[in-house]
Amino acid sequence: MDILVSSLFAGLLIGMVLAMVALGLTIIFGVMEIVNFAHGEFLMVGMYTGLLTAQATGMEPLLTLPVAAAAGFLLGIICYFGFVKFVIRGPMVAQLLGTFGLMIFLRNLALLFFGAEDRAIHQGILVGKSFNIGMGVIAPATKLAAAALSVIAFWAVWLVINRTKIGKALTATSLNPQGARYMGISTERMNALAWGIGGGTVTIAGALLVNFWSVNPFIGLLFTMIAFAIVALGGFGSVSGAFFAGLAVGVITEIPGIWDFLTYIFNFGWMADVPMTSLKYMWVYLAYFVIMIVRPRGLFGWKR
Amino acid sequence: MKKLFLLTLAVCLVACWWITGSPVIAQAKTVKIGAIYPLTGGAAAAGRELKAGAELSAKIANNMMPGLDMDMAKNAGIKSLGGAKIKLIFKDHQANPTLGADLAKKLILDDKVDGMLGCYHSSVTKTVSAVCEQYGVPMINGTSTSPALTTRGFKWFWRTTPHDKWFTKDLFELLKGLTQGKVKGVKAVPEKEISNLASACEKTEWGSHVSSIIKSLAKEYGFNLRKSLLYTAKAPDLSSEVRSLKAARPDVMLFASYTSDAILLVKTLKAQKAKPKIIWGQDAGFEKPEFRSTLRDSIVGILTRTVFLPKVAQIKKVAGQVNALYKGKTGNDLGGASARAFTGVQTWVHILEKAGSTKPADIQRAANAIRIPGDQLVVPWAGIQFTPSGDELGQNVLGSGLIGQYQMVDGKLVLEIIYPFDVATADMIFPFKWF
Repeated sequence: MDILVSSLFAGLLIGMVLAMVALGLTIIFGVMEIVNFAHGEFLMVGMYTGLLTAQATGMEPLLTLPVAAAAGFLLGIICYFGFVKFVIRGPMVAQLLGTFGLMIFLRNLALLFFGAEDRAIHQGILVGKSFNIGMGVIAPATKLAAAALSVIAFWAVWLVINRTKIGKALTATSLNPQGARYMGISTERMNALAWGIGGGTVTIAGALLVNFWSVNPFIGLLFTMIAFAIVALGGFGSVSGAFFAGLAVGVITEIPGIWDFLTYIFNFGWMADVPMTSLKYMWVYLAYFVIMIVRPRGLFGWKR
Repeated sequence: MKKLFLLTLAVCLVACWWITGSPVIAQAKTVKIGAIYPLTGGAAAAGRELKAGAELSAKIANNMMPGLDMDMAKNAGIKSLGGAKIKLIFKDHQANPTLGADLAKKLILDDKVDGMLGCYHSSVTKTVSAVCEQYGVPMINGTSTSPALTTRGFKWFWRTTPHDKWFTKDLFELLKGLTQGKVKGVKAVPEKEISNLASACEKTEWGSHVSSIIKSLAKEYGFNLRKSLLYTAKAPDLSSEVRSLKAARPDVMLFASYTSDAILLVKTLKAQKAKPKIIWGQDAGFEKPEFRSTLRDSIVGILTRTVFLPKVAQIKKVAGQVNALYKGKTGNDLGGASARAFTGVQTWVHILEKAGSTKPADIQRAANAIRIPGDQLVVPWAGIQFTPSGDELGQNVLGSGLIGQYQMVDGKLVLEIIYPFDVATADMIFPFKWF
């Protein structure tokens, strides 16, 4: 029973951080209908920003979030004005290939500056600490903090989008750009803001993740795929959908733990031989695939 | 006049033969050996050690070092090749088998190397040795331990290190010894206290073989392997793997991991408060300086198999001498990777000395007939002698392994020898005092 409860708990914790990873992707898609293939690389930038800031200043790694957010926001704005603004005038395929090119560019830039080696945070107030919270659940302090901060950041972004004028302008731009322009909203600024918020949220997620996840220049692809799955599951453009789909995907990555639980319950020898941990991300992609066939607009999607 | 002309012609012909065909002059003043190691990426730490070990060996071979008790140090260069120097050409395979094969082709075709050395990762050694076999270029492998590498019948491949079957057998002998009271400082442990095992190995060539060897030996020795899993090397997160291992409630946890994974595994085990009685690593990541410097006192009590420990330097004179040189160069003691890379180049030197030529066929003959005595080596082996035929073609049959345990001595983290029992340097810490 311990393994089942601890796996579900771990799934929900990581799910909260994964939701934060996918948030930026869904905002950018919601506002501009452009799929950012470089989303995982934005996350990588956030991870390196958190790691290097903590190492250079001796700051607690979790306190580097504002630096990572500022870096991500700037990166998003620069990408928009320097690149996306022009690509968006082209056909859909040009947009796809353009952000794909951005992905390769950022990855190789990281390779040039940081090398291919894995880097991880080994020092920090919370690093290596964990709490036994009963029912066999051991919660690593870094993951608890990352999950809690993710929820707070997610909630803050949700408030900005749903409760402020700027948020309403963003929503108007995503619903009907032409109509928004007629109402005096600068859609160009809103697009840039979407990229800024998208970049800022994913780099926050990166700075949270790096507390318990090592980083290298190639880490982005895994998270791009996971973020796509979350956005597809939650619905393209849906902020609340991204949150619940993030939790669902977090639990899906813990299927190996659920499988272990069933193995010990039924005690079938063949079940122990199934390499479930090797296949943990396969279930995420399978969910992505199924949702694309069964409900292409996702569980909470409104974009058609 | 005609006689003079014929004489001049004969002299010219002899001179031409001497210049182009003589075994001494034909050998350039350097013998080029391609060394393909992981110099960047997750195993870069190991790569740095391998490179430093190989470089030190080449330096000793190329210069006379009278204070060193090994034949290689008595001459400057390869004596039978007129003092030809060893030149190592390093390439970085980044743990990528395809890249390794490309680099091997480049070394053979562009750099015209006389032989090859490498590659640490068994998966890369597999592809590089296949290229060498195709081109008929001799390759010495000092550090890859997948048993399958010497079961392919390759004629241009020789491996100096013992392989994982031997090493894993050592572990099971240690476990058996624990139940029989043979381990220094530990009373006989009831069998049921250490009967449940769980293993996690990275899933490239090396780790997957170690995993299957653990499975078969656990059966053979009567242990209960409750969980055996493979994970993707250089994994950024291993929490679900660790939870899965923990759920099996093992007494003994066994790992085959490279450096970054080994560090992540121990960190995750610590965070998850796992409590096995024994943790054993199949060398690689568990022995690297980064493993110690990153995890520090959390690893006290962890076991690792190896072929070289600084303690060997205390019981073997030549190892102590080379260790002092290595420490002067790098600041670290020799480890399993550096000592074996050193031995790899040393084996090349002995083979070339015996062959007296850089022709592949001569090197092949010399390698199949070589016997390097144990007193020449820094590693605690009986020597180096390759099987020239049979199922394990090219495998050194005189190698052996050690099992070390991290212990804190006078505030310093050291690896003490625990197995073989007769050369144990300290009492074993049992059970593992968790973090």
